[in-house]
Amino acid sequence: MNSKDTLLQDEASRWVARMGRSDWGDAHEADLANWLAQNPRGQGELLMAQAAWISCDPETIALGQPPVTTPSWSRRRIMLAGSAAAMAASIFGLVFYNASVSGYATEVGEVRRVALADGSTAAINTDSRIAVNFDKGHRNVRLDRGEVWFQVKHDRARPFVVEAGPVRVRAVGTAFSVRRRGNGADIIVTEGVVAAWTDANANEPVSARAGTQLFMPDTPGRQRPVAIEASAASSLSWRSGQIELVARPLADAAAEFNRYNRRKIVIHDPTIANEEVDGIFRTDDPEGFATAVHDILGVPVRTSGDGEITLGRK
Amino acid sequence: MDPQESLLEIRRRRATWVALRVMPHEAQSRAWLRRARVQSEEADDLVQEAYCRLATIDEVDHIDRPGAYFFSIIRNLLVRRRREASVVSLESIAEIEAIPDPDTGPEMEVARRMDAERVRSLIAELPERCRRIVEMQKIEGYSQIEIARLLGVTESVVENNIYRGVQAVRKNWLKKQDDLSERLKLFGNDVEGRSR
Repeated sequence: MNSKDTLLQDEASRWVARMGRSDWGDAHEADLANWLAQNPRGQGELLMAQAAWISCDPETIALGQPPVTTPSWSRRRIMLAGSAAAMAASIFGLVFYNASVSGYATEVGEVRRVALADGSTAAINTDSRIAVNFDKGHRNVRLDRGEVWFQVKHDRARPFVVEAGPVRVRAVGTAFSVRRRGNGADIIVTEGVVAAWTDANANEPVSARAGTQLFMPDTPGRQRPVAIEASAASSLSWRSGQIELVARPLADAAAEFNRYNRRKIVIHDPTIANEEVDGIFRTDDPEGFATAVHDILGVPVRTSGDGEITLGRK
Repeated sequence: MDPQESLLEIRRRRATWVALRVMPHEAQSRAWLRRARVQSEEADDLVQEAYCRLATIDEVDHIDRPGAYFFSIIRNLLVRRRREASVVSLESIAEIEAIPDPDTGPEMEVARRMDAERVRSLIAELPERCRRIVEMQKIEGYSQIEIARLLGVTESVVENNIYRGVQAVRKNWLKKQDDLSERLKLFGNDVEGRSR
């Protein structure tokens, strides 16, 4: 909570007290309207303060006494509530650092955060492997496969360079991710600026700033790659164990889940493959996703013995 | 809506509805945000924005399940914020429909039990004169002008002390929400155990 919020909170509290005045009238009302006009968030703050105050009235507390009921949890709620602890344990329990280890790998479905020796952080996405090599003058990370997001500690004397095949990405103090693709690397910059190039075009680096993404092909054609505004699809929510879908074709969305899970989602019906879906899901919850698709599109969902989840009729 | 109702009355009615039907569920939404790994500062922000929405919609009487409604606002704000675009999330609707009936569930009981207790100790901790004035309003039910007459002070003095009371309650609210959403996380565990 910053000081601006605290101020707003206090002013809202003052308005609540003032509204109890016996002579509250049009002039006060005008002053309040003025305050609200100047503080767009004042409406919410005023409502919260007044409601919190009213909730202390004895009659409000009495009205709120619980009716005698048995707790009811719907299946969906269980999905919502139950998973979080498991997620916390499985994903964030793995933070470790060992000075003698210079290679890190993740299994399918695993996301790992690693503190690097220089104070930088790497979040390693599913099914990825990196090798870290720091010395006095250099900080090099080789991305053999998969995707990693780096929060780079500022150190002008030691440039931070990620190698993904022939692609190189350099940062000074910045945050960005690199994903190794079959024919190049996807780069998303969340803070600062990075420069990217390939072995063959080392003297023609392309720069990308925060909020942009860049695809750097292994063998750049005549067209020079350019950074474009990061799309919603280039979300980095995997760092917190989530898949974010924004108007994503179903086939794409399924492929995204398949990155993280051994239980694969298979779409049987090609007519639904281009249907667009939205939502935030847990990376390890393909069933939850399939259920949502079932609810939205009304297509059958089947789970086969070998752990495949099929969507749609054959 | 009663055309004769003053803005003051409308505001009070809305706030009472929020106090009774929405605020008890705030912790649920916060617990969800916590599970979604939203940082607490952003969570505060989203909650504040959601209350803004509740303050500005015309009518609330048609809302059957205010807790679920509140959650849906927060969730949509989060989705929208994350992608900085405005598309309504279909998936969210399925999820919202399945939120437990707002007035049931073990966490609600805990929320209520904590309420009376907390208010009492909160008032007890206020400075002497402030405590007396807040008690006169909250427990004995006097209006601010009546309190002023009974204590032989100006109405502004009463107002100032009430302000300190509101401020304390408001500040405490955040802390309470944090404690509750922490507890709800434990409920989450519990539910997971049962569902296996």
